[in-house]
Amino acid sequence: MVSDTNPHFEDVDAETVDELLEQMVRIRRFEEGVLDEFSEGSVPGFVHLCHGHEASHAGMGVAMQPDDWLAVGGSRLHGQYIVKGVPFDEIMAELFGKATGPNGGKGGSMHLADVDRHLYGHAATIGSGQNPAAGLALAQQMRETGNVVLSTIGDGGTSRGSFHTALVFAAAWNLPVVYIIENNGFAISYSTQQQVGIDSLADYGKPLNIPSYSIDGSDPVAVYETISEAITRAREGGGPTLVESRVTRLRGHFEGDKQAYRTEEEARESNAERDPVTNFQERVIEAGHITAEAYDALVDEIDDEVGAAIQFAKDSPDPAPSTAYEDVLRLPLYGQGEGDA
Amino acid sequence: MSQQAPDIDGATENLTLVQAVRDGLQSEMRDDEDVLVMGEDVGKNGGVFRATDGLYEEFGEDRVIDTPLAEAGIVGTAIGMAAYGLKPVPEIQFLGFIYPAFDQIVSHAARLRTRSRGRFTAQMVIRAPYGGGIRAPEHHSESTEAMFAHQPGLKVQIPSTPYDAKGMLIAAIRDPDPVVFLEPKLIYRAFREEVPDESYEVPLGEAAVRREGSDISVFTWGAMTRPTMEAAEELAEEDGIDAEVVDLRSMSPLDKDTIVESFKKTGRAAVVHEAPKSGGLGGEIATIIQEEALMYQEAPVERITGFDTPFPLYALEDYYLPEPARIKKGIRDAVSF
Repeated sequence: MVSDTNPHFEDVDAETVDELLEQMVRIRRFEEGVLDEFSEGSVPGFVHLCHGHEASHAGMGVAMQPDDWLAVGGSRLHGQYIVKGVPFDEIMAELFGKATGPNGGKGGSMHLADVDRHLYGHAATIGSGQNPAAGLALAQQMRETGNVVLSTIGDGGTSRGSFHTALVFAAAWNLPVVYIIENNGFAISYSTQQQVGIDSLADYGKPLNIPSYSIDGSDPVAVYETISEAITRAREGGGPTLVESRVTRLRGHFEGDKQAYRTEEEARESNAERDPVTNFQERVIEAGHITAEAYDALVDEIDDEVGAAIQFAKDSPDPAPSTAYEDVLRLPLYGQGEGDA
Repeated sequence: MSQQAPDIDGATENLTLVQAVRDGLQSEMRDDEDVLVMGEDVGKNGGVFRATDGLYEEFGEDRVIDTPLAEAGIVGTAIGMAAYGLKPVPEIQFLGFIYPAFDQIVSHAARLRTRSRGRFTAQMVIRAPYGGGIRAPEHHSESTEAMFAHQPGLKVQIPSTPYDAKGMLIAAIRDPDPVVFLEPKLIYRAFREEVPDESYEVPLGEAAVRREGSDISVFTWGAMTRPTMEAAEELAEEDGIDAEVVDLRSMSPLDKDTIVESFKKTGRAAVVHEAPKSGGLGGEIATIIQEEALMYQEAPVERITGFDTPFPLYALEDYYLPEPARIKKGIRDAVSF
């Protein structure tokens, strides 16, 4: 069931296509659920939705093994949590700030961390997470675990020095790490073309002789293949890889962003042309990989799971005030009593 | 609260403070293969202050790691290693060089425990020589302990003796939380003390009363402990003022119990630190006294500190750093109020 129109389909097996499709739909439907709940006022703070990044997240997630580490970065994170295997219930509860979230409701949308699933948490100082990722990779190398580290970042974060420092360390020590730049063309409002003076962000790897690729991040098969190759290289001792995954940001930076920096027409065009979910949906149906009915059934099934996660989050308790001092430092603090942190 | 170095059984060696740091590192690296050292020039060179002298030869390049010149990378990489379960001890060559790593310390190390509901902690010790008196300006001499003490999730420790340097460093390496371990480089080689050969811990979070007294409590730490002790001895002789000198040792968490207990006894206080006055820990200590023991207070808390300026060079350094004459004046002002 290989489509002539898709040169990539022939390179991956049907099972992988299934996985890529399912992960993409899971991300999109989850985010639609978040959007509804955010509009209703159920989700505190603000949210950055992944619309447009689904193929990049799915390709990366399907390429990695459960024991590989993911140090998430950039702003569009929910899809990355999903492909790392964190259940909908837990992610949704964290977004709602509930005690049942992986961070106990203290992390929210941006800071979800799950050591059991080898998901390293994110700091909002984007471009800083690449250094701990290098450290995780050094630890894998030293302890010969065979696991690799994937680390994501947005286009905006690549201007920070700590990102480049991480590349220096990774190259110097030949670390088993794959850095993925999700370039969606905007650091909030500032276009990538304005931000940097180079054609491709993958060029940042060149001076360090890091194998570097710039790919269409809206094509899950391309992402899967490139990152699989990078992971294999890292696992076999071949060192780091830098991948620029060119994606589209289909919504504002945050929900409520008026997007004064781009016209409605520009936004509409990018939606129509580069929505990775509808594009891939059409491709797999046209290729006969899945029927339209089966696709609809998949969406319904995932929607049910999203609905259940929303209900779980709503039913979950808020964190108790007594937990405010928990998990800052080990308690009791040198015999000075709990709550004295 | 504890007194001066306790009685020691067993073999000892007469060490300087920096030698005791080296001894502590070596001791923990022998006991725990997850402990490793990393930083600029710490390997083959043994560290610019020789704090890692000989460790490269004993433990090899995998555990004594020379790094590129990039503090964000040194500390950030160590955080990832700690998240995995290793126990890195990154060295920052001078505390003033730490600013590129500040984001890593604040945004990652200090928050890993909270962010992961206690399942990850950044068990690491960030060592840095700090403080003035070595005839080098700005970054090579400044004291920014308050910047780290202000950050929840970090522990900030400063030894002032060789015995404490080894014992506190070992305790810090074993502590599950990230510790900023600041070493007063002015007294790296100023004096020697008997230090046990064996491994031992000096508990973190506890101040030490270096001199008992009844007229005023003088709180200090690091390299300021010695001029403060000198001032106290001279005041006893010259003015009959009996000052209690408390070496805080732990900037975070502060040992409130010892601070308050000492103050209730004397009713007067001075704080001696070489960091700039504004926003320094002297203000925090004065406030703790107000909150916990206002009715005992007989005089304003004197702050004898560095100036609110970048750290100056050469001749001006002697004015900047509190020394016995200035400390004595501050104590006299508080006592005669």
